Amino acid sequence: MKAYSENYFQKTGMERPLAPRETRWREGWRLLKRNRLAFAGLVIFILFFLIALAGLFLTSGTKPVFDPAVVRLEEKLRPPLSNAKLEILSSDRVPRLGLYLFGTDELGRDVFSRMLQGAWVSLTVGFVAVGIAVLIGILLGGISGYYGQNAMRADQIFLGAVLLLSGGLVLMGITFFGVVLLCVGGVLLVFFQWVKKRASKGVETAWTRFLWMRAISIDTLIMRFVDIMLCFPSFFLILTVVALLPASIYNIMIVIGLTSWMGTTRFVRAEFLSLRDQDFVTAARALGVSNWRIIFRHMIPNAIAPVLVSATISIATAILTEAGLSFLGLGVPPPHATWGNILSDGKNFIFDAPWLTFIPGVAILIVVLSFNLFGEGLRDILNPRLRERS
Amino acid sequence: MLSFIARNSIQKVITLFFVSVISFLVIYLAPGEPSQVDPLNPKFTPEMVERFRQQFHLDQPLYVQYAFFYGDLFTGKTVSWKDNQPVLKKVWERFKNSLWLFVVGTLLTWTLSFPIGIRSAIFRGGMYDRSATFFSYLLISIPGFFFAYVLIILVVTTLHVPVIDMETFGLGDPPWYRWIMDRVWHLLLPSLLGATGGIAVLSRYVRSQMMEVESQDYVRTARAKGVPEEQVHYKHALRNALLPFVTMFGLILPGLIGGSVIIESIFAWPGMGRMAYEAILARDYPIVLTVNFISAVLVLIGTFISDVLYMVVDPRIRL
Amino acid sequence: MTIRKILILVPIFIIVFLLQSYFWVPTYEQQSRGNPGRLNEYITASIGDASLLNPILSADSASSEINHLVYEGLIDYNEDLRFRGRLARSWKIYEEAFFYVNEQASIPSIGRAGAEEIVELLRKANPGTRPFDPQMKASLENIEEITLLPAREFVITRQEKEGTGSGQTKEITIRVNAPARIRLVLKEVDQFLFQSLSKILGEDYFSTFKGEKYVRITPEVEPSRKMQYIQEVLPSTEHNPIIVFQLRPDVTFHDGHPFDAHDVKFTYDAIMNPKNLSPRLSDYEPVKEVTVVDPHTVRIVYKRLYSPALGTWVMGMLPEHLLNEEVLQKEAIQSGKDPEKFSMRQSRFNRHPIGCGPFVFKEWKSDQYILLDRYAQYWEGPPHYSRYFYRIIPDPLTQEMEFYAGTVDAYAVRPHQVERLKEDPTYQSFSGLSFGYSYIGYNMRREPFNDPRVRRALGMAMDVDQIIQYVLFGQGERITGPFVQQTDYYNKHIKPLPYDPQGALKLLEEAGWRRNQEGWLEKNGKRFQFTLITNSGNELRKAILTVAQDAWKQMGIDVRTDLLEWAVFIQERVNKLDFDALILGWSMGIEPDLYQLWHSSQTHPYQLNFVGFKNEAADDLIIKIRQEYDHEQQVAYCHQLHEIIAKEQPYTFLYVGKWTAVLDKRIVVKETDTEGKVIYKKITPTKTGNYMFYFNRWIKLPEAPVFSPEG
Repeated sequence: MKAYSENYFQKTGMERPLAPRETRWREGWRLLKRNRLAFAGLVIFILFFLIALAGLFLTSGTKPVFDPAVVRLEEKLRPPLSNAKLEILSSDRVPRLGLYLFGTDELGRDVFSRMLQGAWVSLTVGFVAVGIAVLIGILLGGISGYYGQNAMRADQIFLGAVLLLSGGLVLMGITFFGVVLLCVGGVLLVFFQWVKKRASKGVETAWTRFLWMRAISIDTLIMRFVDIMLCFPSFFLILTVVALLPASIYNIMIVIGLTSWMGTTRFVRAEFLSLRDQDFVTAARALGVSNWRIIFRHMIPNAIAPVLVSATISIATAILTEAGLSFLGLGVPPPHATWGNILSDGKNFIFDAPWLTFIPGVAILIVVLSFNLFGEGLRDILNPRLRERS
Repeated sequence: MLSFIARNSIQKVITLFFVSVISFLVIYLAPGEPSQVDPLNPKFTPEMVERFRQQFHLDQPLYVQYAFFYGDLFTGKTVSWKDNQPVLKKVWERFKNSLWLFVVGTLLTWTLSFPIGIRSAIFRGGMYDRSATFFSYLLISIPGFFFAYVLIILVVTTLHVPVIDMETFGLGDPPWYRWIMDRVWHLLLPSLLGATGGIAVLSRYVRSQMMEVESQDYVRTARAKGVPEEQVHYKHALRNALLPFVTMFGLILPGLIGGSVIIESIFAWPGMGRMAYEAILARDYPIVLTVNFISAVLVLIGTFISDVLYMVVDPRIRL
Repeated sequence: MTIRKILILVPIFIIVFLLQSYFWVPTYEQQSRGNPGRLNEYITASIGDASLLNPILSADSASSEINHLVYEGLIDYNEDLRFRGRLARSWKIYEEAFFYVNEQASIPSIGRAGAEEIVELLRKANPGTRPFDPQMKASLENIEEITLLPAREFVITRQEKEGTGSGQTKEITIRVNAPARIRLVLKEVDQFLFQSLSKILGEDYFSTFKGEKYVRITPEVEPSRKMQYIQEVLPSTEHNPIIVFQLRPDVTFHDGHPFDAHDVKFTYDAIMNPKNLSPRLSDYEPVKEVTVVDPHTVRIVYKRLYSPALGTWVMGMLPEHLLNEEVLQKEAIQSGKDPEKFSMRQSRFNRHPIGCGPFVFKEWKSDQYILLDRYAQYWEGPPHYSRYFYRIIPDPLTQEMEFYAGTVDAYAVRPHQVERLKEDPTYQSFSGLSFGYSYIGYNMRREPFNDPRVRRALGMAMDVDQIIQYVLFGQGERITGPFVQQTDYYNKHIKPLPYDPQGALKLLEEAGWRRNQEGWLEKNGKRFQFTLITNSGNELRKAILTVAQDAWKQMGIDVRTDLLEWAVFIQERVNKLDFDALILGWSMGIEPDLYQLWHSSQTHPYQLNFVGFKNEAADDLIIKIRQEYDHEQQVAYCHQLHEIIAKEQPYTFLYVGKWTAVLDKRIVVKETDTEGKVIYKKITPTKTGNYMFYFNRWIKLPEAPVFSPEG
């Protein structure tokens, strides 16, 4: 297209258009710089990312630069910027710089080191949780949007139901019936294959027609599943699952991820549905491009930008959710420090050591705010209708 | 219309069934046992634990337990494992308490968001708009409990009045107006905290909706015709911008249960969220499942109402 | 434009309306001025709600706090943690002991003897004529009465489960052709009676008694089961301690119904009724029978020696007239429930309790408050406070805020809050030791914890005093063994482990652990590595976890830590004995019975001796303690047991926490002296640290009184 237009201008001798021609990225960058709040958001976002990365390196290993695990009971609840009492600490327990930048907590651990360590963990929780949600969202949304019209055949549904039921029975402890059903499922699988093979030779009866009845479309199936998931109040669901499962950082990430993919799914589906009918997709299909290639080369790149925007905001939400869970005592368990659990541990000492509450509280506030502002700015940029007038 | 309603309700019932199955499985398959069967209490012998399990049907296969539970629920016979109180009665009591928080919170959200959002849209890009944007994001970004504590401590240390719980204890028998005002005061903080997120989100939504509508041709036409600016905003634009909000009325219903756990725990508010949370911790399955079920029903009713409202309001949609 | 005005005015109006409500709410100072009745109300706050207000059904602390005020037990503990009478005016403990005549055994100096001869022999047995043996002398002097019970026949039927799993039961008939039996009435309980008697009757007189000769069981059961039945129906010897309670005559329940011996018997029957699922069942299992001698005398016979038995009667007494079968059936029918399945557990009584304690139950709003009123006819005189509020505030920080705002009079203060509140002139604070302790327990089945030196070294590596000072803010005391520190069972001569990392290293070296190049301790090429676990949700345990990990790491021990959710912690790890070391706490009763926690028979999965402590001497002492009714003797055994446990270090005993209570200074003890003059006294905790002991005499004054210096 580009080559064509260059040629076109040259041939026709027309002047080039006056507006500067920009790539999408550069245009976005220019718009972003104009939106000062979003730009500030981006800066903080990058800063936070760097700090988290630095935190990972500075606080891990056997002899970390900033050791968040050193307990100095004599030095508990020291205010920020106070100097360590060198005379009572053995040399390997003295904090870096000989000073508690953010003070110490109720066990005399250096809050600065803990915040550094927590930055990475909080970030991971946010990213992994949202990563899971986005992956599921794109997968289900993509299937639903692209293959949605394809219907499940009655035999497939029947087979699926049998297999699911048998799995469920085994899980419920009714092993015998479960295994029997499982075997029935296996036999059915073979049987249906056989019927199909025979049918392909041209033998079609009322019976096979019934088997291949288009019962329910994949789209309906997935969307109903989304509806089901949306019926659970999300925080309550997370709470239930996290409370019942053994506390671990992975469980929390997975649970937050598994309970927040519905929005992305709906979004991707809508996006795919509209993209499907666009000319370039039709063209690609006409050229005989494979479905997978169409999806990955043409559709996902076009649908991904808004998904990433909402993901940015979701990360912010995930960090807040983790903090909320920490408050209820169900957050990421030690030894992992997260900003959420530093905050909820610190709140008990809000009168004696306000910094234990305010430092993580304000830190979370700033980071979440920056994610939100940045995400919102991106959304504005990607929405041409709002852009032209802003 | 009728066929839509019928179809929709059948669909919802099926959804509800799956919700009930999934929530049941999630809870019953999780490791651990209800605390009534606390094995580390020296007072409980293994035989006692066994007997408790029998009484709660915990020794039955899962599908039997499922049938027992939902059978009891629909006949109103479910009782909490913790105190043998009928679950529905408990839920209803808490529901009434939560309702107040919900009503005041919703009132605050909906009345405040509109003026803020509209003004933002009218003066878009200006100082007011930008600070409104900033503050609404600030409100969304504060960890709720952190904000709550800061507010509580601020109020109690400066004003020296109680803010926790639903009423001031030790008032004796005050005259009715005083009693009401006391309750109103205790509602203020938690409902305000509950509303902050809502105000922020909704005012942003109002803003974008207004901007969307104001760019429509009929608004431009109105403006071009020389209709006064104010009338353009509040008559032509606002009316049409309101359309999607009508449908949102249905969707606020589930908020009754959802996000109030933390606020209710902090303010010692005897509401649904806190009950559900404590039930989760104590593994009082009947309560957890009932609350889950009710909230699913609320969600479904909410979407149903919003679908219907949408059909009523927007003539373009005929499902 | 009206729309615009409405849009702006409505929210302003709402906000103004909400804000103005502030002016109607009283501040701390205005509360008692505006409502003088506030001075007669006591408001306390708790983190959790009660579950069932029925002393025989509830096992949680919130419920028992309320139950304690609403119900009254037969006895309770006085200032020194010894028993004193409440509903029981007095009590007497004695014993009836039985043994079957063993005609096969040959008695020294007589040979084989029949029943009459033995009775004769015992009657004549003059302690003076025998070679001097103080124990025997005491035992013989203790005998008050000897009677002969003739031989008799009886039949017992039992239900036995058929096989495993299947619900079918079969009936077993046991025909007993019991020989003559001798009954001894003792003035006091004597666990050594049969030992003493065997010195007269021959060492193997009791042990050679063959029960199987007199018992026929149909249908046949397997031999081991058969021996159990024989042991049960025809034991060679039997101790039956007996407690007789004399009840106070004019006590009434809150509904005016008089309290009498039938209520005691009813309470016992209710506990034993399997339908009620009472968690106290195991406490009362040793009871053989409860009989009403007259309306104000109850006689309780025990199956065997079990000295903690007396302590169980601290439990509140239920009103029979409100809970008997007839009333329950009526309630079941009224509420449309199946009368077959309906039990006391389902009764509405549990939410509207009636007892004969100092406070009458008024109202209970779940998760909000429980309201009690003073009981004017309380037998000891009504309490001064007219109302008692038990508020439920789940968050400790907001409890504190409510305390500042004056709407809570007392709450369980956290250690770090104490520091701050102690300084405040408007409050008074008390602290005392609680009845529980925290410990680190080691799984003694596993390497390297099977070595007492290792356990001792691990304990020595931790600076517990520092934990107490800094983590607990001084609100704790070191403990060295498993008894309640305030009681005399606790052996105060045992020194706690010193903090001595060097010594600990030396001990570990003796046990074969040496430092490698990287600084880790090693033995046979294996690194000293284990996981320390505890439950999540307990701040202190979490802190100890961190401190212990840090302390041990410095010794060169590779400690991993894990916090587990309570249910998972208990079910998956503790019960299945799948742990290396854990941090946990026990809250103790006052009774020194350690059978469940420390006896070697209790080391199996799902039992409470999960660390696997096995020590023969300790087992012996544990049994002796629970069979001894004499306080002094019991104390002596306890001291010995304490010593053994301290030596073995199956736990690293950490500390007993101190509870602290903060109260407004205006709350005082009000007393009337002999001349009817009212005097106010400062609240002082008892020696054992219970400041609530005189709660019934507390009152709040409009102004904080000034006490004379010696006050």
